Amino acid sequence: MKLVEHEAKNVVKEFGIAVPAGFLISSADEIPSHLDALGERIVLKAQVDVGGRGKAGGIMMANPQNAVSLAQELFNKTIKGLPVHEILIEQRLEIQHEYYLSITVDRSSKQPLILFSDDGGVEIEVTAKEHPEAIRKGVANPLMRDLPPFMIRELIGSAPKDVGPVINKLYHAFCDKDALLAEINPLVITPQGVYAADAKFIVDDNALGRQGVTVNRDLSEREREAETHGFSYVELGGSIGVIGNGAGLTMATLDLIEFYGGKAANFLDVGGGAESERVMRAVRLVASVPSVKVIVVNLLGGITKCDEVAKGIIDAGIHQKVIVRLAGTNEAAGRKMLSEKGYEMLDTMDLVVKKAVQVTA
Amino acid sequence: MIYGDKKTGILVQGATGKQGEFHIGLMNAYAQQAGGRGVVAGVTPGKGGREVHGVPVYNTVREAMRDHDISASVIFVPAAAAADAIMEEAHAGIRTIVAITEHIPVHDAMKAIAYAKMEGCRVIGPNCPGLLSPGEVKMGIMPSGLFSRGNVGVISRSGTLTYEVVDELTRAGIGQSTVVGIGGDPVIGQTFVDVLEQFEKDPQTKAVILIGEVGGNLEEEGAKSTSLPIVSYIAGISAPPDKRMGHAGAIVEGGEGDARSKIARLKKAGVPVAARVSEIPEMVRGLFRSC
Repeated sequence: MKLVEHEAKNVVKEFGIAVPAGFLISSADEIPSHLDALGERIVLKAQVDVGGRGKAGGIMMANPQNAVSLAQELFNKTIKGLPVHEILIEQRLEIQHEYYLSITVDRSSKQPLILFSDDGGVEIEVTAKEHPEAIRKGVANPLMRDLPPFMIRELIGSAPKDVGPVINKLYHAFCDKDALLAEINPLVITPQGVYAADAKFIVDDNALGRQGVTVNRDLSEREREAETHGFSYVELGGSIGVIGNGAGLTMATLDLIEFYGGKAANFLDVGGGAESERVMRAVRLVASVPSVKVIVVNLLGGITKCDEVAKGIIDAGIHQKVIVRLAGTNEAAGRKMLSEKGYEMLDTMDLVVKKAVQVTA
Repeated sequence: MIYGDKKTGILVQGATGKQGEFHIGLMNAYAQQAGGRGVVAGVTPGKGGREVHGVPVYNTVREAMRDHDISASVIFVPAAAAADAIMEEAHAGIRTIVAITEHIPVHDAMKAIAYAKMEGCRVIGPNCPGLLSPGEVKMGIMPSGLFSRGNVGVISRSGTLTYEVVDELTRAGIGQSTVVGIGGDPVIGQTFVDVLEQFEKDPQTKAVILIGEVGGNLEEEGAKSTSLPIVSYIAGISAPPDKRMGHAGAIVEGGEGDARSKIARLKKAGVPVAARVSEIPEMVRGLFRSC
């Protein structure tokens, strides 16, 4: 789950990294009470989760005289299609230099990867293309609490020494908050010290429970409902509903839809060993999306029993057409139940998908 | 075959849970058919002294190791305790650990895998279906009825998609040496590179099928690392960016790891990539014809 800027800044602050004085507001009327703490130079930052927020008009420079009117203007804007519900109003820093710092999970080395760049304030992908020599990398041993000093020296290069402790503090935040990404960009040098001018965090969805997060905001309402039943569910916007077991097989079914020129509406992975009631819920959930005209069920039974699946499909009693491919445990019983009720069954995933694409074409 | 054979003594952690109990039964039924040792001991803290399908259960891995000759294990314990289970086994001297458990936090996985490596042991998974060498040994949850013995190795990030591929292969008369599910998480122990290294040393394996997904670039690294003939399939060509497609690892992050660029890189490295699963058997036959 992604944290928004003000949440991410609260995290880095908690770990001892300085952030600009700032306040989260949901109305321009709140500004006057904060002006004393902010000084003469102010910045207004829309709390919307989009890349290139500044260029899209989501960041405005202000002063105590025009802050209220500019905030009103910003609240009335949409930034890349998103409405502005909250603004972070902050003291503007006196920037001497901007660096880039991030920590991610490196799949290849299976360890945390730290990136530090002399060119801050720009996206790391841009730096990687234009000035790859400005980026330095370090791979951390996940069994050590602290980054070894040599690694910090290697990372910061000729940057001021004060930057070193910030890297270790961000590493602690990355570990303790179960982050998949912890990023400070830019990390700013000012006459008053080193500040995190912007921060980004993504928390591991598998660790939300122990991080005390009860609602994953990145999910739509239907996706959340699916999650409470233990389903993986993704909405895609087409007209063919897809139910499978196992992420890989379900994804392969979606790809096959694209291969035959169709468009999937959604994707539901019922997981292993689904019983009839779970299958019924899954079918109803997928059918509840108005754009779904036909549903493809592609299940390969190992621990999933085909007769349970058949019962679930029949019990769901939905109005859309359901095309079924069932293989594996208790296959014959499942097929018999479905054919008695007049459901269409085909032998391979290629055939069911082809048929579904024809129906929606 | 790789990672074990008939002589491998297997330990199961989480032996008394619903999953553990069910799969000890299936693994030992397979071992009986193949004439192998199968699961020789189980571990569940606090449940020592019980038996599951005739297999003795111990409180700790060390106790089980004292009474039995064990070289591999399969883990079914819940996500919150799984990293600890991996470390306990690595410390006790088990060399090959198969972690079936899903939803392990990535930071736990990084620690457990680093610890296991330090102890000189290999972790397959987490979030994987384990492995099966037809006629030899089954360590995990793969439905054995679909498999047939032969000389094609299979490495996959997914479960049911692997079964689909194996089913297609078997129907086409192409047998398998070992089928390894390496897991669908962003951080896994044995990657394509590691498993391919094992297949290189295996005289039975003449060709390998790589079944990948969106996310990361482990498939490309694997393809570049081996001299074995390879056929590949990548799931997720229709996956939108930043959407987690069921597996925590199956996500296109900031434009990295999308299926199209992955497929392009594999093809550039000379690896044939199937557009559909059903094309795989014919492509494998093509490999055998050309070599």
